[in-house]
Amino acid sequence: MSRGKAWALRLAGIAVFVLAWEIAGRIFGDALFAPFSAVIAGFPATVRDYHLFAELAGSLRQLLLGYLLGCIVGIVLGIMMGRSALLDGLLQPWVSMMFVTSIASLVPLFIITFGFGLMFRVAIVFMAAVWYVLLVTYHGARSVSPDLLQTARAFESSRVQTFFKVMLPALYPYILVGMRIGLAHAIRAMVIAEMYVIVGFGGVVYNAGVEISTVSLLGALLTIMLVGVALNEALKWFAQRTAPWYSERQQLSN
Amino acid sequence: MRASLTRPLVLYPVSIVLGLGVWEALARVIPKALFAPPSAVLGRLAAMTADGSLPAALLGSVQHMLVGYLLAVLLAIPVGIIVGRSTAIATAVEPILNAVYAIPPVAFAPFFVIWFGLYFEARVALVFAMCFFEILINVLQGVRNIDRGLLDAARSLDLTGFALYRKVVIPAASPFIFTGLRVGIGRAVNAMITAELFFSAVYLGQMLKTSSNAFDIASTFAVILVVSLFGLACQEAMRLAERFVIPWHHESTA
Repeated sequence: MSRGKAWALRLAGIAVFVLAWEIAGRIFGDALFAPFSAVIAGFPATVRDYHLFAELAGSLRQLLLGYLLGCIVGIVLGIMMGRSALLDGLLQPWVSMMFVTSIASLVPLFIITFGFGLMFRVAIVFMAAVWYVLLVTYHGARSVSPDLLQTARAFESSRVQTFFKVMLPALYPYILVGMRIGLAHAIRAMVIAEMYVIVGFGGVVYNAGVEISTVSLLGALLTIMLVGVALNEALKWFAQRTAPWYSERQQLSN
Repeated sequence: MRASLTRPLVLYPVSIVLGLGVWEALARVIPKALFAPPSAVLGRLAAMTADGSLPAALLGSVQHMLVGYLLAVLLAIPVGIIVGRSTAIATAVEPILNAVYAIPPVAFAPFFVIWFGLYFEARVALVFAMCFFEILINVLQGVRNIDRGLLDAARSLDLTGFALYRKVVIPAASPFIFTGLRVGIGRAVNAMITAELFFSAVYLGQMLKTSSNAFDIASTFAVILVVSLFGLACQEAMRLAERFVIPWHHESTA
């Protein structure tokens, strides 16, 4: 399929979706499912009434803190576990356990531990992101070709040199994939935590949700959708720019 | 010698004992109102099992989790196969799928309250929303990745219609379908407890809320542990089912 045809199909797909939304909205009405046109027309009011952008920016700042902490810990632990059979065996059962732990189930506990403030939201986002980053980095670290490492040893490169010149470049694509999956989960966790205690962007979703009209609720959902897609595409673009050898085919599904 | 000491069979029990030791030691330092030692958690777990409250809650929770999951499976597999078989449809649907997938599922919770109320139907809807896309994406990928040679061979044998799907498409895509089923059931367990916390608090969600409101950390930990172990067990059951149904596919990736 040519690029032009593919783009035409994508645009057609979006057009059909928006049209279906509009028709469904007209049938069900604002109270059940507002039509696309009403959501767009009501969007400026949503932004004003709920301080949508200010709340979103505040939430994303806190998200960034927890997410970056999660990335750092996940990358370091992932490499350590991937390269040491001892650490792997010692940490694996606990990591598997934390990996399946539902973020929502941690919310009541973390409220007791951290209160309702910054620490709480940072901790929740951290817990959502860290295990995905760790797991993908771990698989990357395990799959670094022994040939590469032996070649490095043959050239008498030091351990530090081998780490920075061989290991890290080989791991880089994995780290970026892990960070991308981690980000999606960080955003989900942020909304879960914020909707539970009704603050920030999640608070906006909650408050818009109890209104009679669904115009604001859909506006908020549309906004977080665009933010999620934009951040994901930005990370993808960054990956392609900085690691051209990285191919999307390696994409590890979560 | 060293290699035999780092085998999972040796290390995993060591890991669990060590981890419990660290946990117990931490609990001696951290105030009782914030943290509970594993001995207390196990004690609560035994007590809650003995008086029947925990098994009863789990049994209640499983209902909406299973209904939501089965609905998602029954819809995602045929939709994924139909969309995946046509390059044009798959291209047109892809941006919409990515966009909707970027919305945190819990943000749909206000909608489910509007449409379905606060009880069983709303919980089923959230479970459905949280695992449907996960399964769909994997099925789609599986169908898209079918070897062209396989399809050409089927065509030269005049295999068409239902037989083509039953004999070629579904078996060829089944490793991906099973990945979707496995990841999906993990999500369903997550969604199960999320729904119980976000709609009217029932079953395990209610136990979690009551115990955390009473600052009963040991019971809170116990419920979180049960949900995590249940999620792990469901995923392992799926892995076993996969080995049983498609023994030719030796899974190498996690």
